[in-house]
Amino acid sequence: MNVFDPQRFKLPPAEAGEDDVWVPSSCALCYGTCSILAHRVDGVVVKIEGNPESAVGKGRLCGKGVSGIMTHYDPNRLRYPLRRTNHKKGLHEDPGWKRIGWDEALGEITAVLRKVRADDPRKLVVQRTTTVTSSRVPLHAFATAFGTPNFSVSGGGQHCGNGAHLISGIMHASWSVVPDFEYCNYAIYFGASKGHAAGHASCSNMGKAADARVRGMKMVVVDPLCNFAAAKATEWVPLRVGTDAALALGMCNVMVNELGIYDGPYLQAKTNAPYLIGPDQLYVRDTQSHAPLVWDLRTRSARPYTDVAAADMALEGRFTVNGTPCFPAFHRLREHLQKFTPEWAEKISSVSAATIRRLAREFATEARIGSTIVVEGVTLPYRPVAAIAFRGAQGHRNSVYNFLAVDLLNHLVGAADVVGSCLGFNPTCQGHPDTGKVRYIPSAGPDGLMVTGSWMGYHYPYQPQEPRLPQNLGLQDLFVIGMTSPFLDSTDREDMWKKFEVPYRPEVMVNFGANLVMSIANRDAVAASLEKYKFIVSFDLFLNETSNFADIVLPDCDYLQSFDSRSNFPFIFSLPGGLGEWCWPIKQPALPPDGEQRPHADVLLEIADRVGFGADLNAAYNAWLDLQPPYRLAGGTRYTYEQICDAELQNNFGSQHGLDWFKQHGLIKWKKKPEEVYWRPFVDVRVPIYWEFLRPIGDKIAAIAEPRGCKIPPEYYQPLPDFLPCRSHCCDKPGFDFYGFYYRDIVHTNSFTMENPWLDEVARLDPFSYTIAINAGEARKRKFADGQPVWVESETGRRVRGRLKFTEGIHPEGLGFAAMCGHWSDGMPVAKGKGVFYNDLLELDWEHVSPTNINLDLCVKVRVMPAESVS
Amino acid sequence: MSVRWDAVVKYGAVGIRKDPPPPPLSAQDCRAAVIQVHVQLFGALAAASPERSIRFELPAGAVIADVLAALGERLGEAFSERVLDLTGAKHRHCRLFVDGYPVEQLRAPLDARSGPTQVEIILLIAPEGG
Repeated sequence: MNVFDPQRFKLPPAEAGEDDVWVPSSCALCYGTCSILAHRVDGVVVKIEGNPESAVGKGRLCGKGVSGIMTHYDPNRLRYPLRRTNHKKGLHEDPGWKRIGWDEALGEITAVLRKVRADDPRKLVVQRTTTVTSSRVPLHAFATAFGTPNFSVSGGGQHCGNGAHLISGIMHASWSVVPDFEYCNYAIYFGASKGHAAGHASCSNMGKAADARVRGMKMVVVDPLCNFAAAKATEWVPLRVGTDAALALGMCNVMVNELGIYDGPYLQAKTNAPYLIGPDQLYVRDTQSHAPLVWDLRTRSARPYTDVAAADMALEGRFTVNGTPCFPAFHRLREHLQKFTPEWAEKISSVSAATIRRLAREFATEARIGSTIVVEGVTLPYRPVAAIAFRGAQGHRNSVYNFLAVDLLNHLVGAADVVGSCLGFNPTCQGHPDTGKVRYIPSAGPDGLMVTGSWMGYHYPYQPQEPRLPQNLGLQDLFVIGMTSPFLDSTDREDMWKKFEVPYRPEVMVNFGANLVMSIANRDAVAASLEKYKFIVSFDLFLNETSNFADIVLPDCDYLQSFDSRSNFPFIFSLPGGLGEWCWPIKQPALPPDGEQRPHADVLLEIADRVGFGADLNAAYNAWLDLQPPYRLAGGTRYTYEQICDAELQNNFGSQHGLDWFKQHGLIKWKKKPEEVYWRPFVDVRVPIYWEFLRPIGDKIAAIAEPRGCKIPPEYYQPLPDFLPCRSHCCDKPGFDFYGFYYRDIVHTNSFTMENPWLDEVARLDPFSYTIAINAGEARKRKFADGQPVWVESETGRRVRGRLKFTEGIHPEGLGFAAMCGHWSDGMPVAKGKGVFYNDLLELDWEHVSPTNINLDLCVKVRVMPAESVS
Repeated sequence: MSVRWDAVVKYGAVGIRKDPPPPPLSAQDCRAAVIQVHVQLFGALAAASPERSIRFELPAGAVIADVLAALGERLGEAFSERVLDLTGAKHRHCRLFVDGYPVEQLRAPLDARSGPTQVEIILLIAPEGG
């Protein structure tokens, strides 16, 4: 039975001039998913604007968002299912696409999936792009119902999130962090662009950041490139690529040991700073309750942290408990920081010791420790400083410590989720006032440490799972601090799977829009991985470099043609942080499918039905969407995705607020309360300034990995952050004197938007989007010319070709690439041949992965050579 | 004004509401001596199990942990390993619904009643990146 009914999407017949509507919906040009109004006239969308009714963008829409119209009407969009006729797969193989019908396509897919599910469902890998957030639940539900644990978001996570999201989750109960733009007076950005470019809540944050700058917020941007945020900052501090931890730790040292400025009451009440640490680096625990002990200054004895008033907990001193010498965690931290002198940090980061001291003093002083402010009648702690980091700082082998060191700046001065400080994106929500649904609050987990109230998946950052001999192809059940894994595609994947006795291999892939040949690392490695699959089916808008490895390509509907009931939920992902409104927009079609396009969510429902796991898929939707009676999906019933969206909306907002109501109104919103936004004082949880749990995790991983020949470097599993060099920092090959890195171009999203003609035009007008940024002085010393074609070669011999663009706005040792350009697929003719494919320089193996969170190392030591001098 | 962190909350007039108590797992006739349980397994658990719809009885006073123990006995260690971690706690990505309502605590009691208690168990995908 084919439940998908294209007639459903047909617009009512309209005489010319009758159809003139603004359809409230959501953008999908990036994962920010801002709220839009699509203006349709006589069946054609003629304009896309931001929706001023929504808190997500507040009527603002970036250049990508308004250009979405050109992606939609691109004549290169796929309109029919395709099957390859050339069974040989490879980077240089023509698939020989042949148009087929849906029944034929789904019949073949059904046969393959039925066979592999009966054999071992884990042999299916489900992959999706992060660009389209609405794909998350349908793809997760499909994989869940099918029975495979193997799910990936391609380059997402490995590049941008494994460190940032992990630590934001542990320390702020959120996916990311942002300054409290309304009240922050001093923000320091480490390789981040929040409020100045793409990403989570991008359009909302751009407005908030602009207002903050007008208000006088001082903004310091630490980055090898004078980038989108730095260009608008009060001060740009260029640093050597990948050395953020050194600078941040130097600042922490100055604050604590030179200036003696830190927020003692915060550390006592809201962190594990008072927990006593023994000589084994572990908590000293109560023999009865097993709770960590603190030193009670009032009774002069060691007592469980649960039994002592925060004000009485010692932060410093040497104590003896049951004959064992021990120190509060803060004491250990303070000692540990002493080695990170500004002079040491200068050698690592190239930022002068004087600058480090000044930044530390400014940050600590501006924090106004001890102050309060009244917001909407509520008295709250006031710490108007924020240190944030993102992709630039954490996209390295030393990812965890880089991010943790930066966030330590906040916690030392109590600038965490209070007025003016570093905020998580909406970690606490008391729910919709009518139904109480959509409610989540962080809670105290083991040892009183915070467990996030909301998360994007079920791999919670704290408490990490117990490492085990892995069953997942990504090995995340061994490397439990990691999220997205490189081991699905790495050159050593087979070796890793053998070492860890993974009892099966991937055979089939369902891909939604991910262009993994371009988005992970060098193309050869990923291509070799894809060639091994027996069958790949890919939902796509265009034929890209990865769909050329597929056996069947299915033409998807885009965001102007499909539904989603939760555009900006979880709120920790892309609803703007800070005061304002809770806002729940939907996505809905403004246009019908073109040709034989079908929305992927409906196709997945049909495949499940054909293969015979429709009831499992309904159960999976119940679980993923948290549907409760009477809105749960029934096992034996076949639903459309539109009906599932309706069930979720009624489940959350009552029967009067189903999909029909949302189609008219576009969104529902209600006011945030100050105690939700500035929740930290009100929720009895602590966060770890001392990661006591990390070393035991490392030991357990080592106990499994090392007998199998995989060395786990212990320095990556220490409880206090350190600066650990990347491979690039250790390269001393003559002539290799630049650190290659990429940055996210403001006008593009991943590799997808390169095909958009308007965005391509903007990128061509931008001197940097399609070139290689090099320090002008350094370039002239080497007798390069501005615009000169060059080869850039990694120390392992990988090469990319591009043109140099001179600038003073880059660190002298940096070489900056706008990622991810350099398409070569004929299916994306606008994008083809534009810019430089930086990822082709990246190695993809265990040696280039963080041993902690399996983040890929994204910096490469390179040499630059005139193109004409190299054959 | 300079006050301690913890004092802000003490003197404040607002706060975060505590989580409401979970709904009763079943609110019907509590006089039965045994609890009839009907378990349905989905996704990976169903694929790995010889039976996906399982009925059994537990004595009055049984809790969710007893349901999982009974299933472990019936379906073997592989089932328990998928559902419970090495410490015996339920994996976070294992979602369990009793009569359609989510249950997280293994100590949550099942109410005795005349009809079967419906238990659904499914393993979700754990990791997410991006």
